[in-house]
Amino acid sequence: MTDVCMIIGGPQGGGIESAGQVALKTVVVKGFNVIGTREYHSNIMGAHSYFHLRFTEKPARALRIPVDLVIALDAESAFTHMWDISTKSYFVYDADSQDQEVSKIPSMESSLKRRVKEALAPKGGATVGSAVKFVEEKGAVPVGLPLKSILKKVSDETASPLSAIAKTVNIIGLAAGLYLAGVEYDYIAKGIELQFGNRPKVLKPNLVAARIAMEYVESSFGKQKALPNGPHRGRSRMLASGNDVVAMGKVLGGLTFQTFYPITPSSDEAFYVEENMYKEDVNGSKISILVLQAEDELAAINLALGAAAAGARASTSTSGPGFSLMNEAISMGVMAEIPVVISLWMRAGPSTGIATRQGQQDLLHAIFSGHGDTPKIVVASGDHREAFFDAIKAMNWAEEFQTPVVHLLDKYLASTVAVLDEWELDVSNVELSRGKREDSPGSEYMRYEITEDGISPMAPLGKVPMLISSLEHDEHGHVTEDPVDREEMVAKRARKWETIARSIPEEEKLVLHGDPEARVTIISFGSTKQIILSAMEELERRGILTNFVQFRVLSPFPAETAKKLLSRSEVLIGVEMNFQDQLSFLLRAHTGIYVPHRVRKVNARPLYDTEVVYAVEKIVREGAKEVVVSGGA
Amino acid sequence: MARKWLDYKTDSWVQWCPGCGDFGILNAIYRALAELDIDPSNLVVVGGIGCSSRSVYYIKGNAIHTIHGRAIPVASGVKLANPELTVIVTGGDGDLLGIGGGHFVALGRRNIDIPILVYDNAVYGLTKGQAGPTLPAWIQTKSLPHPNVQGSLNPLLLAFAAGYTFIARGYAYHLNQLKDLIKAAIQHKGAALVDILQPCPTYNDFMTNEWYEKRIYYLSEDPSWDPVVRSPQEHKEKAPKMLEKMMEFDERIPLGIFYQNTYKETLEERFEKIMNGYLSSPPGKRPLGKRPIAHPFQVFKEKVIQV
Repeated sequence: MTDVCMIIGGPQGGGIESAGQVALKTVVVKGFNVIGTREYHSNIMGAHSYFHLRFTEKPARALRIPVDLVIALDAESAFTHMWDISTKSYFVYDADSQDQEVSKIPSMESSLKRRVKEALAPKGGATVGSAVKFVEEKGAVPVGLPLKSILKKVSDETASPLSAIAKTVNIIGLAAGLYLAGVEYDYIAKGIELQFGNRPKVLKPNLVAARIAMEYVESSFGKQKALPNGPHRGRSRMLASGNDVVAMGKVLGGLTFQTFYPITPSSDEAFYVEENMYKEDVNGSKISILVLQAEDELAAINLALGAAAAGARASTSTSGPGFSLMNEAISMGVMAEIPVVISLWMRAGPSTGIATRQGQQDLLHAIFSGHGDTPKIVVASGDHREAFFDAIKAMNWAEEFQTPVVHLLDKYLASTVAVLDEWELDVSNVELSRGKREDSPGSEYMRYEITEDGISPMAPLGKVPMLISSLEHDEHGHVTEDPVDREEMVAKRARKWETIARSIPEEEKLVLHGDPEARVTIISFGSTKQIILSAMEELERRGILTNFVQFRVLSPFPAETAKKLLSRSEVLIGVEMNFQDQLSFLLRAHTGIYVPHRVRKVNARPLYDTEVVYAVEKIVREGAKEVVVSGGA
Repeated sequence: MARKWLDYKTDSWVQWCPGCGDFGILNAIYRALAELDIDPSNLVVVGGIGCSSRSVYYIKGNAIHTIHGRAIPVASGVKLANPELTVIVTGGDGDLLGIGGGHFVALGRRNIDIPILVYDNAVYGLTKGQAGPTLPAWIQTKSLPHPNVQGSLNPLLLAFAAGYTFIARGYAYHLNQLKDLIKAAIQHKGAALVDILQPCPTYNDFMTNEWYEKRIYYLSEDPSWDPVVRSPQEHKEKAPKMLEKMMEFDERIPLGIFYQNTYKETLEERFEKIMNGYLSSPPGKRPLGKRPIAHPFQVFKEKVIQV
């Protein structure tokens, strides 16, 4: 049974991202399921970053720590990840860095330096050599790569100067590590070709580097047993990040207008829409999406609202700080009844927080955004597949209900790459809709016509004169302060909200995973889904049967169904990556149900399945109320 | 049959103070629209928040009354989604140059075909007369407890720096001249500013009609004045004189067209260059199919690992 989890770390700008991509492609070609994510600092060059990846025969649902393989391309990586190994793991490091001292590494956080010094004091000082002893004592096998001499060999063989091939160090480390894990050269070569294939000048030295690295490991540590191929060998599959799949959903869901202001971790979604904004011929149709970088998030959403009023299918994407700026316009979207989708990629807050790290702290912000009685749809995706379909669904809902829709995502999904099979993204049953769109309004058209379901026919601008107003208005859209008009319009918006709550099927609002009879129930939302599912399998092996209620649509909140599903639960556990227990708060507000136990992660790193297992065991076996888990570098 | 100015008047009660300069501006807009015979169905007037932004309710056509400061991005979204529409922004100096200043700058950079009509009275009228971004320092209007300690900005210079391709200044009570400026701004292809000096008889007791009348004059009084630049070379040659005129705001205040660039392309034209067919089938008019046009594996091939 193959199940390998690995970390490759090095300086930002040092090819960690491309090493990760090569690794993903290699193991997909080898036939495995895979999940991989990039952890990085808010920095362009020099700070530590790492790629965390797991490949397995089973569905690759989550990452874990400890890992089976650490590839530390520099001293900082060795110090940072010496804690992350398991007893039988390999610890690949730069043998030339043996004497490097932690105190001499300027890019390292001072707190980490202190922790390293404390841990390595008994080993005779905080050097890479001591870190190697540290991992050895924990049962790992240290594998020192003489990077300088390997690079020299690559330089000789490719007849290129050292400076030209120095960048292959990421592939040297990766190839050595993958070889130790049992992946043969041919697969790694294929992974490298898939990554660099269109750039022959990069491809050749990397192939040579990979071969020399593997030969070195083989000669120094013995021939490794090759892993049998995974079950998906020979099948073409997609590797895509959460940012990618949301962009794909938008493009295929009929988006015609997208705005953004650059902000991590949302920008890559907009970039990928932009990359695909124009395609002459797809099945006889044309893709043509106007993508505009706005001057700020205020403009980003107001541009989208204007475009939507003029008939475009419009969206914008942002993260917490940008979403804060969008609040007033969201309120206008509700008042003026303009459809817009906001993809909200949460990150660690408050304020600027940690821009490149994980957090789930904007749930309440999303729901309560905008002043003055402004309900809006909030849908949270649990994984890549959901994110893809939700992106389409969000656009449908926005237009059907003429309202802002917040598509709630996060940094973990944004930068996590998953493998997807063709059937998983089957769109043949997906419908695109615009609700009560009116393309030929008569002269009596009223933008805010009072209707039973609260939804008025919506004509785009340019057909007949109409008024769209952020001020309280009458049916025509004309500004009014009349108390009767006012009450009628509030009632209309309230009926619309009821229509929304009624129209979205309960099974799309929340999903029960696992045995309905289980007495232990986990509740959560967003990207924790697959991590929890993975943990549930392990918990069952350990004798704890759980089920999991995943909240998909958090506004309108599925209170009645939640009550029904949770009524039988004896141990109720909330898993959240925020300290206010935001989902539990909502649940209690809507149903009165108190969630007595919680698993919390707030160190701005991804949640691991190993942590959920640990925490749930602690709660179920020891009655712990709250377990804070803190893995990840 | 050509439209008359009254055809653009709505039934709404115009709720400005008696003597407000906004009346003059509104009347000039009616007349400019009538002379251009713009179809009200095709006209979108976008306003922010403030006395002047309410103009949107008084002009027959489509109207969007947005939130404070955001008229320009909303209008930009409308125009980019459907470039066939005539989109006009009306708002005050506080809305467009204060809270919305960043968007005012961005519009110039983009050169979207939208005229911006700034009702420039140097005060925030609707909130009872606080200092606006064009109120000069040390002026104490009757509603200010102290003289204004913040300086004023020059809308024309700001527009020039930002890349507006049409820059003009008018006066609210000069109906005919203002009508011509608004007409020219609407006809101009690109981002256009008409800074309209407008006495606020209720709150600005300093920059009054008398104060303005003593100072204003028209650039066109000089028969050699030609604000049009047709090439980068002409721009370079004429800019110093134009800037000198834009900076003049003391004992003499010039009115008229300061600058009109006829060679710079609009954002809409740039999009057409990277998206063939954008102008004929823009985002607001593209039909939505019943189903996605293809499977993602077919469209995003670079993400599929071909083994």
